[in-house]
Amino acid sequence: MSPKPANVHARLPLAFIPPGSVVRLAALGDEIDPLQREQLLAYGLAGNHTLTVLQQQPMTVILAEEVELALEREVARHIWVEREARAAG
Amino acid sequence: MTPTANAILLVGHPNVGKSVLFHRLTGAYVNVSNYPGTTVEVTQASARFDRTAVLLDTPGVLALPSRSDDERATVRALLNEDSRCLVQVGDAKNLRRTLTLTALLAELGVPMVLALNMHDEAAARGVTVDIAALAQGLGIPVLATVATSGEGIGELTQSLGHASRPHALLRYDPAIEAGIGHVAEAIERHAPHPQLAARGLAILYLGGDAEVAAWLQERAGEKFAEIAALREAGRAAAGGRLSPLLARERSEAAEALAASVIQRAARSSPLLSQRIGQYVVHPVWGIPILLGVLYLVYEFVGVFGAGTLVGLLEKDLFEGILNPAVSDFVNAAVDLPWLAELLVGPYGLWTMGMTYALALILPIVTTFFLAFGVLEDSGYLPRLSVIANRLFAVIGLNGRAVLPMILGLGCVTMATLTTRILHSPRERMITIFLLALAIPCSAQLGVVLGMLGSISFSAVLIWTLAMVGVLLLAGFLAARLIPGRRIPLVTELPPMRLPILGNVLKKTGGRLKWYLVEVIPLFLLGTFIMYALDRLGALPAIIEAGEPLVSGWLGLPKEASAAFVMGFLRRDFGATGLFAMAHSLSPIQAVVGMITITLFIPCFASLMMMVKEQGVKTAAAMVALIVPFAFFIGGLFNIVLRALWMPT
Repeated sequence: MSPKPANVHARLPLAFIPPGSVVRLAALGDEIDPLQREQLLAYGLAGNHTLTVLQQQPMTVILAEEVELALEREVARHIWVEREARAAG
Repeated sequence: MTPTANAILLVGHPNVGKSVLFHRLTGAYVNVSNYPGTTVEVTQASARFDRTAVLLDTPGVLALPSRSDDERATVRALLNEDSRCLVQVGDAKNLRRTLTLTALLAELGVPMVLALNMHDEAAARGVTVDIAALAQGLGIPVLATVATSGEGIGELTQSLGHASRPHALLRYDPAIEAGIGHVAEAIERHAPHPQLAARGLAILYLGGDAEVAAWLQERAGEKFAEIAALREAGRAAAGGRLSPLLARERSEAAEALAASVIQRAARSSPLLSQRIGQYVVHPVWGIPILLGVLYLVYEFVGVFGAGTLVGLLEKDLFEGILNPAVSDFVNAAVDLPWLAELLVGPYGLWTMGMTYALALILPIVTTFFLAFGVLEDSGYLPRLSVIANRLFAVIGLNGRAVLPMILGLGCVTMATLTTRILHSPRERMITIFLLALAIPCSAQLGVVLGMLGSISFSAVLIWTLAMVGVLLLAGFLAARLIPGRRIPLVTELPPMRLPILGNVLKKTGGRLKWYLVEVIPLFLLGTFIMYALDRLGALPAIIEAGEPLVSGWLGLPKEASAAFVMGFLRRDFGATGLFAMAHSLSPIQAVVGMITITLFIPCFASLMMMVKEQGVKTAAAMVALIVPFAFFIGGLFNIVLRALWMPT
């Protein structure tokens, strides 16, 4: 589930990543309901894809490929990501 | 279920434009929306290009094997229809996701065509797909389409004749492949499908698809145990995580193919539509934008629809011109006094039933559906669910429930049907209960605002606070009493788009047709029952019987009992009945009457819908809770307002 990139960074919950950051998906925590996990996978939250965090309030909003997704904090705090770089703007 | 011969099934993710494409290919109306989950049932119509073919629009599937109601309905269609071919409608800018579904559909062995829709949006985001390479990779025709403008539709219809069985996108891990092989062999032996490949059914069944399991059980009879045992063996070999493993392998295969045919141009800044979409859910700007949207809807529906249009139709046209003319004509032409009274008397089918339906209710519902159509076509509604999520968490729901709730302000019956977009039975039950209890439909809302607005702003405010308070309290209690847990919100935010007038008008037209077909017979039936009760002398008896409750507890004139009888037929009908008594009601009586009638049991049509969606027992339990609760709250307000309120 979590192939390691060459430059390994600490894993952080998606809910704690500031807006504007580009992160790499590391793993979906076991706390996420199995059905919701399948849903996330179907939305494209799989592999070690990059995600752009657009905002954190009132919900976590991310851009995964060209899909904008809103995730409740309860879910976002169990999605583990690795920091990549800072997006422009 | 009788299979549709020569069927062409449209299949795809939610919000990829299936329904618009269906409309383009058939000319038939479907409720098309820019939010996931609009097509709650399979819709079918003859194809424009070939009258012998029938097109079926299936609900959007987020993924297969099926989990949600929408996905189950789509799998049922795949299992039961006599499919000539599948048209997968995909989102060109989300090719990986599209191909993940293709990877599963390809295993079913049915001829396919892939329509990569919204390729204009993909181009605007710098995404280019090598269509020819993709078609070669999949072994099926692939077309770039823009359903909203009609681009690529001609080519799509031509390509249907060349639909072919796709190449498999992947071979699973050898251990999984062995399991698939064993199950497929058993299916082939004990429950072969006339069209679908046993391998595809085996993959769905191993992934835990309940619809496929039920179908296999029915077909295989006692031999099903053998198939089920093979599944258990396959699951055990995968360490109990077979479904996610299958899904991940499909996703990886889809990604590999997508990466080989897609090109992305670097983009320096987000598109305007993306910026607007982000402002709408912004923690600071989202709320003023929401208030602005609500204000505009109020101005359009509440002021223009319920005020100006109702004034023109009810006062000027019906009361001023039509009703006197119809009454004169009927009185002159009909010799039987009872018949004349049935048509144009105080409870006349024309003077009461048709006047309410056409002059009072129709303008309000029309303006509401137009406003709702604009909001849904723009992509605002899913963003509203993000803004409203926290509030809905209090009542054990998530922001997705905002969609049926808002639609309930248009028509509770229709909204009850749309609760199918919610993911769990618990969420559906709570939402249907709250819709029945505390959400006034637009017709009723118009009457309430018209009546209380003419008294004072504080009367409207008290009524509003009562409704919001009851909604929160009842939701809070229901969330704690109904077993199960709340599902956190995860939702896609489709791009914000400028609403297309044609789409909005089509949607409004379809909804109005549905509404009128449902509403006018009920209005006429309601009027007839009132007339019959009046003629038989039963109305005075009901009024007398209800007096202790209506006059004693609610403090209303005893004649208001009749309004509650009418309220059962249509909730707005009851409110209209009270409205007709407005001149004889004090401000407190008007507020108490409106609070009680709003909370009172939903109209006959929505009651039928509740039974359809929740079953007789649950619907009866809801009614048994709602009726005493409505009178209890109404009486409570009567006591409190009499003690406190100094009308201004």
